[in-house]
Amino acid sequence: MTNLATVPIERLGAPAPAGEPRRRWLSPAPDRVARPRQRPRIVYAAVAIGGIAIIALAQLLLSIGLSDGAYQISSLQSEQKDLARTNQALTEQLTAFSSPQNLVQNAQALGMVSNGNTVYLRLSDGAVLGSPTPASAANAPIAANQALVPNSLLQPEQVVAAPVPDASSAPQAAAPDPTVPWQGALPSPQTH
Amino acid sequence: MTSTTTRTTRGRVAIAVLLIVAVVSVFVVRLVDIQVVQAEGLNAASLASRSDSTVTLGTRGDILDANGVVLATSILRYAIEADPSAVDEFERPAADGSGEVTVTADQAIGELATAMGLDPAAITAILSADPSSRYALISKSVDVATYNAIRALDIPWLYYKADQSRSYPDGSVAGNLVGFVGEDGTALAGTELTQDKCLAGSDGTEVTETGEDGVAIPGSTVTVTDAVDGGDVQLTINSDLQYFAQEALAQRVTEVGAESGTVVVTEAKTGKILTAAEYPTVDPNNIDATDPEYRGAKVFSDPFEPGSTFKSITAASLIDAGAATPDSQVLAPYEYTSGDAVIHDSFYHAPMPWTLTGVIEQSSNTGISMLSNNMSVDQRWDYMNKFHLGQKTEVGFVGEDSGDILPGDVSGPTQLDDQTIYNTTFGQGLTVTAVQMASAYQAIANNGVRMPVQLFEGCRHADGTVTDAPAASTGEQVISAQAAQDTVHMMESVATTGYAADAIKIPGYRVSAKTGTAEMSDGSGAYGGAYLTSMAGMAPSDDPQYVVSVTIRKPVTITSGLAAAPVFQKVLSQVLKTYRVQPSTVPAPELPTTY
Repeated sequence: MTNLATVPIERLGAPAPAGEPRRRWLSPAPDRVARPRQRPRIVYAAVAIGGIAIIALAQLLLSIGLSDGAYQISSLQSEQKDLARTNQALTEQLTAFSSPQNLVQNAQALGMVSNGNTVYLRLSDGAVLGSPTPASAANAPIAANQALVPNSLLQPEQVVAAPVPDASSAPQAAAPDPTVPWQGALPSPQTH
Repeated sequence: MTSTTTRTTRGRVAIAVLLIVAVVSVFVVRLVDIQVVQAEGLNAASLASRSDSTVTLGTRGDILDANGVVLATSILRYAIEADPSAVDEFERPAADGSGEVTVTADQAIGELATAMGLDPAAITAILSADPSSRYALISKSVDVATYNAIRALDIPWLYYKADQSRSYPDGSVAGNLVGFVGEDGTALAGTELTQDKCLAGSDGTEVTETGEDGVAIPGSTVTVTDAVDGGDVQLTINSDLQYFAQEALAQRVTEVGAESGTVVVTEAKTGKILTAAEYPTVDPNNIDATDPEYRGAKVFSDPFEPGSTFKSITAASLIDAGAATPDSQVLAPYEYTSGDAVIHDSFYHAPMPWTLTGVIEQSSNTGISMLSNNMSVDQRWDYMNKFHLGQKTEVGFVGEDSGDILPGDVSGPTQLDDQTIYNTTFGQGLTVTAVQMASAYQAIANNGVRMPVQLFEGCRHADGTVTDAPAASTGEQVISAQAAQDTVHMMESVATTGYAADAIKIPGYRVSAKTGTAEMSDGSGAYGGAYLTSMAGMAPSDDPQYVVSVTIRKPVTITSGLAAAPVFQKVLSQVLKTYRVQPSTVPAPELPTTY
């Protein structure tokens, strides 16, 4: 490859006879028509550089936000895990408390007895079906016995203590009135 | 410019170009090698070094009773592991916030022991078993409270692993039916095993890229496999009723010095099992406390000779076949001989003029044997087959037994010896399970229509859809409605005038029942002097809604049906109360028992 710039001008075209005056028609190029000289457009540079800066800044802020969010997510997730654990522990406790063994035992400790004798009140005519008899511990169909229907989730201390009746503040217990006070048909709305 | 200088310049240029080309090609080759040839391996290695793979747990489903009470549920338990090689003193923030305090290894072990309720020596022993090891298991499973307490100690050489475990909030209530899982989570018994396909979930995997401090890089979580939660299984059991039955049964079994017992309650119109209690029953939270013999569901798996409660089935078959009516007369002697067979009644009496009702009321073996002569042996076995005796029930419970209405070496009932042919009329010489017996009584209570036995309502998936629900069935007409009603009325005389009448009376309700006192085989073909007492029946007799069947094995102090009668009465009363069954309004028909 030859660098055109380094080649002497004489070597271009046919060698010119020595001493021959320069051809007339080769004249120096005229000066460019005087156009108004272009000033460097600083505004373009400013826009480009400014744009890049803004993008970089936005990117920076965005990733700061994201990583901040990541830490927040991470801490919230661990909080959620802790809460789920607490929830589970409490649910476990609750379901064990609501097991029939626990309920019956506590009811009995509070002095409640189950009445095996069922009595129905028929609403249509107010008739009492069955013979009402008060419940008594001796006639209770079953007595709770943890040993017979065990539940190892229950701790013995979960049974409440029987309440001690407070003689001074409790109202004098009136003798129960065995009669059924209502006479005649049950009241019912007269709407039609 | 001379030609020499030109040549030198050219040479230099050429060398430089060659050198550049050589260096660039080395880089290109290396680049291709890294980016293309080894790309996959390098990517994986880089991902592995910054990513964290976690197992997401697929939760095993719950087991619920008919009202949605949770009988079995999944909970998280934590394994506490240690790195013995790293056990040393460490610093942790002081409790009062003033800088850090140094905690010695012994101090840490002491605190850990207190939190876990263990002896410090036990933990020291675990840690010093192999001090150079990187792994030692301190506890396989601690609960949440303990776990939180241990974590609060901030011991750097401890590691924790969450694992699923099962909890049975109601303990031994329905423990026989619910079953249990092993330590590794595999289903071992009961519904846990029978419905394992529905209950089991499958674990998933998640991969997350994390920074150096373990915080996940946003948007980098990739779910490799989804965790799938298991479905919930709903039973037809009423857990409160089940508890009541277990308590009542257990009290009676211990009272009469018996070995074990069962109570089965079914809904007459649907065949649903409402209660299948037994004593002893396993507490699935504490399996080791129960004798392995009683860790299953004997109501399904343990067939027995039912004894006199079977007479109702024989009588129902006789009436349906037109071979007898409730008024059919028989002069029943104490001892009846036919062919090689010799049949005795349980008490001595002169020949009695009993009707079929009287035979049922007095539970006469000779009477039912003589009346069964009106029906062919094949026909009687046809009825047993129609009652689905000798076949597994529709429940398909794990370990379920089919019972035997024919010995294995006999191809047909006519090949049986005379004694066995007659024995089967009153429930000896054949075996049934407690659930089969309740199911046969259900058919009698439901106007002769046997409904498929049902224990499972189906499998409810996480998205709410229910699968595996038993197909709706209209049942099978085993005997005619009339034959069924006649049988119910005959059994009513047992509850009004039979020997156990006082023990099973329920004020306001008409009750039908049949007592039974079966001799138990000693396992070698002979009867060993032990008894299985039973009581089966239904109420209210004018329109039976519920069937209760009680058996008590090997009672000592009372060996008649009276051993089982109080349990029958209590459970049936509770059933009528629970389901608000109105008292009977129509008086009982008085069928003649003698002529």
